[in-house]
Amino acid sequence: MSYQRAFSLQGVTKEFPGVRALDKASLDVEVGEVHGLVGENGAGKSTVVKVLAGVYQPDAGLVTIGGETLSPITPDTVHAAGVRFVHQELHLVPHFTVAESVFLGQERSGRLGLNTKAMREETEAFLHDMLGVDMPSSRLIRDLTTAERKLVQIARALIDEAAKVVVFDEPTAPLASDEIETVMSAIRRLTEQDIAILYVSHYLSEITDICDRVTVFRQGKTVGVFDTITDQSGRDLVYAMVGRDIADMFPVKGDRVAGPGLEVVGLSDGRAFANISLHVEKGEILGIAGLIGSGREELIDTIYGLRKAQTGTFQLEGEPLAIKSAAQAVDAGIVLVPRDRRHDGLVLPMTMAENVTLATLDQNTSLGLENRRVARERTEAQITALDIRPPDPDVVTRLLSGGNQQKVVLARWMVTSARVFIFDDPTVGVDVGAKSEIYQLIDDLSAGGACVIVSSSDPVELQGICDRIVIMMRGDIIGELQTEDLSVDELVSAITGARDIKNLTDAD
Amino acid sequence: METSTSTNMIWVLLQRFGFLLVFAAFFGLFAVWNPVFLQGGNLLNVIEGSAVLMIIALGMTLIVATGGIDLSVGIALDFGAAFAVVALKSYGMDWFGAACAGLIGGSIVGLFNAILVIGLRVSPFLATLSTFFIGSSVQRIFTNGGGPISHRRMPEEFRNLALGDIYGVPTEAVIATVLVVLYFLVLERSIWGRRIHAMGMQRSAAIVAGIRVNRILILCFIVASMTCAAGGLIAAANIRMFTPLSGFSYLLDAIAAVFVGAALHPRGRPNVLGTVAGVLFLGMVANGLNLMGLNFNTKDALQGIILVSALALAVAQQRARNPLVS
Repeated sequence: MSYQRAFSLQGVTKEFPGVRALDKASLDVEVGEVHGLVGENGAGKSTVVKVLAGVYQPDAGLVTIGGETLSPITPDTVHAAGVRFVHQELHLVPHFTVAESVFLGQERSGRLGLNTKAMREETEAFLHDMLGVDMPSSRLIRDLTTAERKLVQIARALIDEAAKVVVFDEPTAPLASDEIETVMSAIRRLTEQDIAILYVSHYLSEITDICDRVTVFRQGKTVGVFDTITDQSGRDLVYAMVGRDIADMFPVKGDRVAGPGLEVVGLSDGRAFANISLHVEKGEILGIAGLIGSGREELIDTIYGLRKAQTGTFQLEGEPLAIKSAAQAVDAGIVLVPRDRRHDGLVLPMTMAENVTLATLDQNTSLGLENRRVARERTEAQITALDIRPPDPDVVTRLLSGGNQQKVVLARWMVTSARVFIFDDPTVGVDVGAKSEIYQLIDDLSAGGACVIVSSSDPVELQGICDRIVIMMRGDIIGELQTEDLSVDELVSAITGARDIKNLTDAD
Repeated sequence: METSTSTNMIWVLLQRFGFLLVFAAFFGLFAVWNPVFLQGGNLLNVIEGSAVLMIIALGMTLIVATGGIDLSVGIALDFGAAFAVVALKSYGMDWFGAACAGLIGGSIVGLFNAILVIGLRVSPFLATLSTFFIGSSVQRIFTNGGGPISHRRMPEEFRNLALGDIYGVPTEAVIATVLVVLYFLVLERSIWGRRIHAMGMQRSAAIVAGIRVNRILILCFIVASMTCAAGGLIAAANIRMFTPLSGFSYLLDAIAAVFVGAALHPRGRPNVLGTVAGVLFLGMVANGLNLMGLNFNTKDALQGIILVSALALAVAQQRARNPLVS
């Protein structure tokens, strides 16, 4: 096969006030390959994607697509050259149907206005033939699962069949582990059509799984191009990304205080789960595992008072407790680091200091007026403690990377005197380096005597940091596993129901 | 860049100081066109004439900051005026009792909005629109078809709310200024203001942070409507009567002022000082166009054109400051 260059970036530099996001970076992607792009947060991955999308104008360097040097680089010229994007965010209108979403902005019209029948048929055919799923095109977006929405988004980018280069930006970030394969196999099918794919992801297992070649960015520079990728490449990639070896992602457990913590008895929300009882001791990290639809997310929301409970009681350190709203939970010392930090965790247009102090405003006040100096000092203390970058309390949180945004959410709860920390998918969209730091912080909290609950779709993460894991399926807790001597494979087979949990525990 | 030309320079200047330059340009234009514009009496007129709009726009700023909008500000103003005039005329209350009655009357409107928005989960736009329809009808029924309720022998103290002065400064300007200061402190400097802005920008994140958003929203609707009722007191004192549905004329100007103010903010937030600038800008343009002796019918069009150009510049200004926010 004669390699044909689909696109290349040469010596691209992009500066923002105070930051050089890209520093003579280069990237070559060939037709018919899946090319991985990896790097820590802030390495310049998203800047490259935005340069390629025509959103940012590079200060220097060339962008060549299909042999033609693009000038000017605007969203229109890029689109005309056949570059399509599948963004991390879903950007779909909840009240539109699948067909309407796929054809939004590129509607088919017949003699009598919109040709809805053709659009419905084409959508279903495309989803079936190209992506391997069957989905009625009249369903509403709001009724779809996250994975299904992702497929709709892919269909939308590719339905015009003019795509030459497709950029996937963290395509699996919002997905549960069992949903990932659906999207991955859809991507594999695409390479058979002479399409070049740029695959940007934090998940190295996916990268080694699907990519033919990989380019590694660090601090805005291209630091390595791997021409052969095997299952064993992960370690080399991490080394190239962070410039050092991460021997162990997960912290080593030390001694713990003990004592009664949070106890939940007979909790039901009347829809997603029923009669759930669980408890987490002080100094313990309890994991909650479960696929999408297992009721795991709804359970977390209900414990935190975001959803109404139908039945159920709470006890914290032996004292009965009523949780009917998030405000009550926070008052009781129960805090949540939500799964969707950009939506539920942070007020993105606000500054870091404003977000860090949002839950503790009462403490930074004199006569009801906010004492900004105290707020700043508290934020600066947290910046040092959590190593948040850039270390500027006045930076708008929208501009921070995923890992640093998560640290800001965490910092907000660190300044409270919380006793129970609930983490819901704490490292989604967070790079390897920051991930390890967040695990350390979670472990520190628990070592300090806090009760910690980690609900996660990542079995590696659960196995790595939790002491004990409860497994949910169809709104029920189907079992409990101690993580000592538990392998990730065993955990996965328990979560997916491939193996009975009784057999697992008996085997010990 | 080497190719920078003088047009480039002007563009840079416009981007950096856009709104201020437009403000100054029109100020100069009006002053040259008709020297009366610059006379102390006229400028005071602009400020005095803007007082009621300023008060209404403050209430609107509060609701827009919570992430909603209030189309019933005029109704709150009418209720304030109606309750006060009826209290004076039919119940013989003194000025203070009447003023309290007016504020309570206005708060009914806010409470009703809060019930619709929080209790029934109607969006603020539709909820306050319903309040607007219902409130308008109530006024017509109460006045048997919309006739004014006049009160010629209004107590001097009450009339002074509009016509009096405190150390030479018109009372209504003093009231408006006091409210501006209070609103500024609460919305821009207090912890409640931070919570209000947080819920306005990202409601779900505010909830997760433990902020009692419903409680804040109820209070905001009540406070905003009482503020508008205070505007109603001044309006009633000014003309010694309650004219049904007269509050409506302030609605669109108040919305315009608040959004001009938000556009002036470096991060596009609705804010008190911006609203003040918006109100004064609208007041200046209206007064200036009047003094130019323009045809009454073309005035609104000109006002619209001026508003759009000022806003476009304000947005350009924001972009110049924050290149990362596209």
